[in-house]
Amino acid sequence: MRHLCELAVDAAVGAGAQYADARIVVRRAQLVATKNGQVEEIRDLESEGIGVRVLVDGAWGFACDRRASDGGAREAALRATRFAKAAPGRHRRSLAPVEATSAEYRTPLERDPLSVSIADKVDLCLRAEEGMKHADVNVRSAFVRAHREHKLFVSSLGSAIEQEIVEAGGGIEAIATSDALFQVRSYPSAHGGSSSQAGWEYVEGLDFVGAAPRVGEQASALLRADECPAGTTTVVLDSDQMMLQVHESIGHPTELDRVYGTEAAYAGTSFLKADDLGALRYGSELMNVTADSTTPGGLGTFGFDDEGVPARREPIVEAGVLRGFLTSRETAAKLGHGAGGSMRADGWSRMPLVRMTNLHLEPGDGGSLDELIADVDDGVYLETNKSWSIDDKRLNFQFGTQIGWEIKDGKLGRMVRDATYTGVTPVFWGGLDAVGGREHWQLKGLTNCGKGQPGQDGHVSHGSSPARFRNVQIGVKA
Amino acid sequence: MSESALELAQRALAAAEGDEAEVVVQSERSGFARFADSEVHQPTLIENAVVQLRLVRDGRVGSALTNRIEGDALRDLARRAAEAADLAPPDPDFPGLAQPEPYPDVGAYDEETASFEAEEQAQFAGRAIEAAAPLAAYGFFTSAVSELAVASSTGVAAHQAMTDATTLVIAAGDDASGYAERTTWRTGEVEPETVGREASEKATRTRGAASLAPGRYAAVLEPYALGELLQWFAWDSFSGLGLLEERSALCGRIGERIADPKITIADDPLDPAGLPKAFDFEGVPKRVVPLIEDGVARGAVWDRTTAARASNGVASTGHAPPPPSRVWGPMPLALAVAAGEADSVDELTQLVDDGIYVTRVHYLGIVNPREGVLTGMTRDGTFCIRDGRVAEPLLNLRFTVAIPDLLAKVPGLTRTRQLVNQSQFYDERYPQGVLCPAIATASFNVTGSGSAPGL
Repeated sequence: MRHLCELAVDAAVGAGAQYADARIVVRRAQLVATKNGQVEEIRDLESEGIGVRVLVDGAWGFACDRRASDGGAREAALRATRFAKAAPGRHRRSLAPVEATSAEYRTPLERDPLSVSIADKVDLCLRAEEGMKHADVNVRSAFVRAHREHKLFVSSLGSAIEQEIVEAGGGIEAIATSDALFQVRSYPSAHGGSSSQAGWEYVEGLDFVGAAPRVGEQASALLRADECPAGTTTVVLDSDQMMLQVHESIGHPTELDRVYGTEAAYAGTSFLKADDLGALRYGSELMNVTADSTTPGGLGTFGFDDEGVPARREPIVEAGVLRGFLTSRETAAKLGHGAGGSMRADGWSRMPLVRMTNLHLEPGDGGSLDELIADVDDGVYLETNKSWSIDDKRLNFQFGTQIGWEIKDGKLGRMVRDATYTGVTPVFWGGLDAVGGREHWQLKGLTNCGKGQPGQDGHVSHGSSPARFRNVQIGVKA
Repeated sequence: MSESALELAQRALAAAEGDEAEVVVQSERSGFARFADSEVHQPTLIENAVVQLRLVRDGRVGSALTNRIEGDALRDLARRAAEAADLAPPDPDFPGLAQPEPYPDVGAYDEETASFEAEEQAQFAGRAIEAAAPLAAYGFFTSAVSELAVASSTGVAAHQAMTDATTLVIAAGDDASGYAERTTWRTGEVEPETVGREASEKATRTRGAASLAPGRYAAVLEPYALGELLQWFAWDSFSGLGLLEERSALCGRIGERIADPKITIADDPLDPAGLPKAFDFEGVPKRVVPLIEDGVARGAVWDRTTAARASNGVASTGHAPPPPSRVWGPMPLALAVAAGEADSVDELTQLVDDGIYVTRVHYLGIVNPREGVLTGMTRDGTFCIRDGRVAEPLLNLRFTVAIPDLLAKVPGLTRTRQLVNQSQFYDERYPQGVLCPAIATASFNVTGSGSAPGL
């Protein structure tokens, strides 16, 4: 495969590109899904191709071809170069320096998730489903996924990097309905479960079968719970909902391409400005956020990003102050700060974009969930995301959770359903007054982070402990 | 593309070994000229063909997908699908594969659009950018030729070549932003200059935006806003699976009045003003499906699996989704809202008298599917309506609305309709959009304010 990448890079440079890189990506993925005691889907996917990115007189070109062949490589390179030469605009682009590297990276794992038999996967899903059986639960579903990506990156700077990324994950869900109520509980996370860059051992560790009875019971119990009250109060969020909060209100706004407006047409921009670096108060002094593409098990972990920049760990927010952005070589050069390292593409047919890698809220000294709750006279504790929406600058958000409980005098009270909370990002994070301890910090991975046109799905992990926020508006209604 | 998608599908079918086999092929040659700050920054030129084989062996179903089509690749695909099927438990609910049927004759292919190359795509982007000046332009021009083919051991041999093109522009400065788009299957109708000018003109009126207190307001929604809201409502509420799983706001209400009598909505994949399709991803002919007629709930769309599960005599309406989305159930991807009698959007603002004007919405979330409750933000052109006219600009507003409430009292809809793009271009190319007018509603629930117009 390496010679195809080299052929593409040579063809692009020969056609006038001042810089070129080529990525061959070979993907294999497997999905097993069951619903209500039947197999919903067993699917085995493979995809391969080459993507060639060129810079001609400051203009980008990118073209790809499914054919991992001499013809496919050459034609993609020439199409990309032709486009760059025809592209409208001013074209003033420079790239932060990166050292030419020859290297390899492989996900450390114990058991290849693609080697586990489909029959075993079906059996696991059906056993988990069985455990979720409960009065009023009318939809039970479970799925497991396995994903392997082998990619080779070659650039005109002389880099040649080979990486093999393996992911495993899954999730279970119970839905209960009655009259006009629709209630859902998920484990270990909503909207696609949780995945890790790991082997089958990650799925086994999730213990779907053990968690299933609670998931079914809670879905059913929610039908008899009272609606979450409205008002302004103290909110304690579990680790799972915290990950969505971090993703939407810290991860996306600190992507430097959004700050520079290049996502304006789709996902939006950011309330942050480039000169906010080192100056903007993002939240309370308890807020410490780190981007870390070296986190063991993280879906955003790699040896090198899709521009050939090595993995790194760097602060984004320290003691509540903005200290860093997620960058590409281009945006880092424009800012004059950072070195890139967050460029990731969804397979061979998409151009790399600035993406989150693994973004974490660092643990605090708030202790356990019980300790966070003990210091609340009147408030709510909320678990697991149900709905999410945030504005184009990542300021005004409204999130719903699957389940909640009132907190009275430091103890959990009655269960509440259909909880929502809303806020404005820096005001909300300014209300952060406790973060749980390291022993309560969890890492989960999501595979549905959308960005770019054409759209790209990003695989991202977040780590967080439960956390407590004061003066939060809850109970938004239609 | 020397080998057609149908020829490729039949070649894959010949390599399959099972009691029944079905092959779906999607191929695309597309170009995307995405721009920001008036220059192209993310071009993407794609050549791809994807083959999905679904095999039934001894009552067991398995599928495999590849984009390798040379040499032994299709035999390898057949082997992987057979492995998946053989290791699966029997599926007693599998309804069998579709039988051959005649397909409607639809358009949706334009030779000029199919022949567009990288240079032309870059030029169209440039024309939109220039028309948005002096404001900076953010958006894209894209065009594609794609093919869909379904071939099966039951004799289905369906093939359609499609073209599509979209120009989308946000014209913006630090304190202003406006939006416009055109989607069509003919590049000759995509009007990059018109789109650029419309976005720029809208943007210049958004400077100095003010906040608005939360509350219920009468509102005029442009087709961009109405189309996206209805598409999100449709995922659960107009889906047969949504009815079966009791997620739909239409549950138990088929035959009841759920909207103003002015509201008629269908899924109409055959309308040449939309993005016409002849058949679905199971090879079943596309049918026009009434969803709401004169305010009365009429039904939902179905694929073969959900129709069989319903056990009430419904049949597939030709709405099986693309293979990666099969678990989500049948999808209405060609919503069409009947036009009203208002000659212009201005006439709608006169009907509203006092309220708000919404150009488009952003980042919707489904809060409660059973009640059809969505939340989201307005964006790129939100205004007050005072004394029947569009007045001062507003900050982007957070809304939380139940779609049945939004449609309950409708003073009017425009006579003209616009095709609003609904493809975000993830996965394989499959153009889709909503054909709808602008609407005046008596109730739009504002629950907060957010960002100001502009970058």
